[in-house]
Amino acid sequence: MTEMLKKTAPVNTFCRMCDNHCAITVYRDGSGRISSIDAYPDHPWNHGRVCAKAGGAVDIVNHPDRLLRPLKRTGSSWQEIDLKQALDEIAERVSRLQDTFGPESMSVWKGEATSFNQQEDLAKRFCRALGTPNFLSVDSLCFCTREIGYSLVYGSWPKPDFSNAECMILWGANPPAAHPPMTRTIMEGRERGAKLIVIDPRLSTIARQADIHVQPKPGTDGALAWGLAHQLIANNWYNKDFVENYTVGFEKVAAYAGDFTPDAVEAQTGVPADTVRTIAALMHKASPRVSQYAGNGVEHYENGVNNVRAIASLDAICGAFDMKGGSINADGLGQQSLKLYDEIPLTQLRRADGEKFPVLHDFRQECNTMTALNAILTGDPYSLRGMIMTAGNPTMTNPNSEKVKEALSALDLFVVRDLFMTETAQLADYVLPAATFLERTELYTYAPIQTVSMSTRVQSIPGVQDEYQFWHDMAHRLDFGEHFPWADEADLNAWLLKGTDVDFHDLQNSAKGIQYKAIQRQKWRHRPLSTPSGKVEFASAYLAGLGYDEVARYKPPYYASNPKPEYPFSLITGARNHLGYHSSYRGVKRFQPEVSGPQMEMHPDDADGLGVVDGETVKVSSAIGSIDIPVKIVARQEIIRSVLQATHGWKEANINKLTHDDILDPIDGFPVQKGIAVKVERIR
Amino acid sequence: MQIVTVNPRKCVACRHCESVCSFQRRGHYNHHDSAIRVNHYPEQAACIPLTCVHCAEAWCQEVCPAAAISRDAKTNAVLIDATRCIGCKMCMLACPFGAINFDSSAQSCFKCDLCNGDPQCVKVCFPGALNFEREEDAARANRARHDNRMAAQFGNRNHD
Repeated sequence: MTEMLKKTAPVNTFCRMCDNHCAITVYRDGSGRISSIDAYPDHPWNHGRVCAKAGGAVDIVNHPDRLLRPLKRTGSSWQEIDLKQALDEIAERVSRLQDTFGPESMSVWKGEATSFNQQEDLAKRFCRALGTPNFLSVDSLCFCTREIGYSLVYGSWPKPDFSNAECMILWGANPPAAHPPMTRTIMEGRERGAKLIVIDPRLSTIARQADIHVQPKPGTDGALAWGLAHQLIANNWYNKDFVENYTVGFEKVAAYAGDFTPDAVEAQTGVPADTVRTIAALMHKASPRVSQYAGNGVEHYENGVNNVRAIASLDAICGAFDMKGGSINADGLGQQSLKLYDEIPLTQLRRADGEKFPVLHDFRQECNTMTALNAILTGDPYSLRGMIMTAGNPTMTNPNSEKVKEALSALDLFVVRDLFMTETAQLADYVLPAATFLERTELYTYAPIQTVSMSTRVQSIPGVQDEYQFWHDMAHRLDFGEHFPWADEADLNAWLLKGTDVDFHDLQNSAKGIQYKAIQRQKWRHRPLSTPSGKVEFASAYLAGLGYDEVARYKPPYYASNPKPEYPFSLITGARNHLGYHSSYRGVKRFQPEVSGPQMEMHPDDADGLGVVDGETVKVSSAIGSIDIPVKIVARQEIIRSVLQATHGWKEANINKLTHDDILDPIDGFPVQKGIAVKVERIR
Repeated sequence: MQIVTVNPRKCVACRHCESVCSFQRRGHYNHHDSAIRVNHYPEQAACIPLTCVHCAEAWCQEVCPAAAISRDAKTNAVLIDATRCIGCKMCMLACPFGAINFDSSAQSCFKCDLCNGDPQCVKVCFPGALNFEREEDAARANRARHDNRMAAQFGNRNHD
């Protein structure tokens, strides 16, 4: 009776349908099956609200297509095998590969379908213990450019304090679809009278409430940021005390910004010169309560890191860094590190990306995936032969999908753990079932409120391992079990919290999470930043030492600097919708009536020019590849002319067949997945 | 009574409310099955959420020839009993807000039922455009907002 009650009682935990981890309550039916999900009313992150995706987790967990047994490829078909046999065989083949071709012939790839931080650290730990420097992940094309760009300036990525701001600027970000809880803080800011400026070639969801919606040409954000810097500096609107005492390289920035007059910015970005002046004046009036957030939209360009650095620098120019209503330079929890960076530095081994991106490695100790995939195909700098991938689907998310497929198919050993038989898993030698977020417990920190929470394992499925158990079992088979000594995830969580001010049992009993440290502002007054100089770095001697530009020099995107008449359109990819997360959830049937499938957004005048009607399937091609995709003609305010948008993740029309793995940001190797030069043809 | 109040100044037409309403009512996500409807007008830059306000004097209830519309004793919500509804659409015509919808497969009308006192649309509204509150409280919030603006405009010290 007690057991049954336990199995059916509601459980408070955290949603992981996206990386916002809202507090939820999970309900189960009489048989213990997860039946519905509701918002938990009293957590300081989501305040009793939860987005519409959360309820869909029920369908993910109970999905009839979910992988529940290990599968082994036998010729062109799959054979169900026992978990122990699968792990034994994989370990044996990993050992054999490493004995024959060296430790670096193996790699580990972490995707985001099951989680992010803690799962990434575990995968990094396993990778180090396995003795290979080839840690690959989806971060090579998502998130890292922003983290690196901000960290180059501030030594960290500060978070926006919209609730207290007077001027809010969003660059290529659409919080209602991607960060629902951030939307609440933006509306709180507006309620207080703050101005909202949204910079996006599309009229995104959040842009509908913008006071100023700016529509630059794709990839020209850096020029706009420099133009704002120029206005703030030329008009003496910058914070002199902050700039003089807490930054380096201001004179270099001031000199470089001089080129970005409002007219020059207009010529580059298409944003009217007067709008540049207006925004700068609003920033000045609001300083230091100027709060910015740069989204995924700014990073998929060959000048992404420098564009982000230019945006980041504006906070310091306005004196908004770590100020109320500006940015929050949050303190971390200070948990133990899983990554083995110091214990096993592996500096003697070369990475499969040929050390082309030292900055990516310095900040993330990651091997660039675009370049590593080339190594599989070319053997240069050496042959990467084996890969264990957890919850990634790069044939849908990496650029140049056809090549990704070819590379992954060429591996001697390819193991994929996932919830479903994805397009990528279909290429594997072994496919192992992974646990959903409701079948795991992990820590999650909410940086802007300096709060930590721990999720609760709601159910377990026999034979379906959580992330830790898998790495643990592999490590013990490969004779480095000493690096995975914890009995289970709970034991691991307790270890992670050692040395912090948060007690494991207190956290286990706290559905509201625990604030690990009170928020303090202006920490720069008494504590050096984590930059090399300890100050805000407008100019980076570190980058200069590696042969890069010291200031965040602007370069126009390739489609603008090398215009080709045969490719007259510029295609942006990856706009979020409210029921998706990256390439996930396209298979959730209950979502489908609302998410209509692949489509490419087009300006009505462009549609007229081509003679295309709404819903018509067209052929869109870049220098990389081409696909057929239905057109959605949007309102003329919703996208600028000559720009198209298509969201990725649809196998029926995979837009990443067109994106570039051959044009990369020289600083961190990010690929060009936005601002693709394309042509559109009618299919007759 | 508490109703779902709507604030177009905060709505971004993100559609989470329509999705969750249809999920609550029909078990899938399809805005055609949602009792709350949001319209986005790009030309006017306007987002208008619209749902039943459960009028004190409910014209839909008065006009219904099948006596299918009643008031819930617990929540005070105006409810349509789909098993009694004859699909004549009189209530749709009577409602001055257009807050009643027609389900063509079931041949009956449907509207917001306040989810038995726990409206799901409010829970998914991160922008805060939807709130489940008493009308008096909504009015008080409007007054506070206006007060704040006046204070900002006429205050002698604008920054803390």
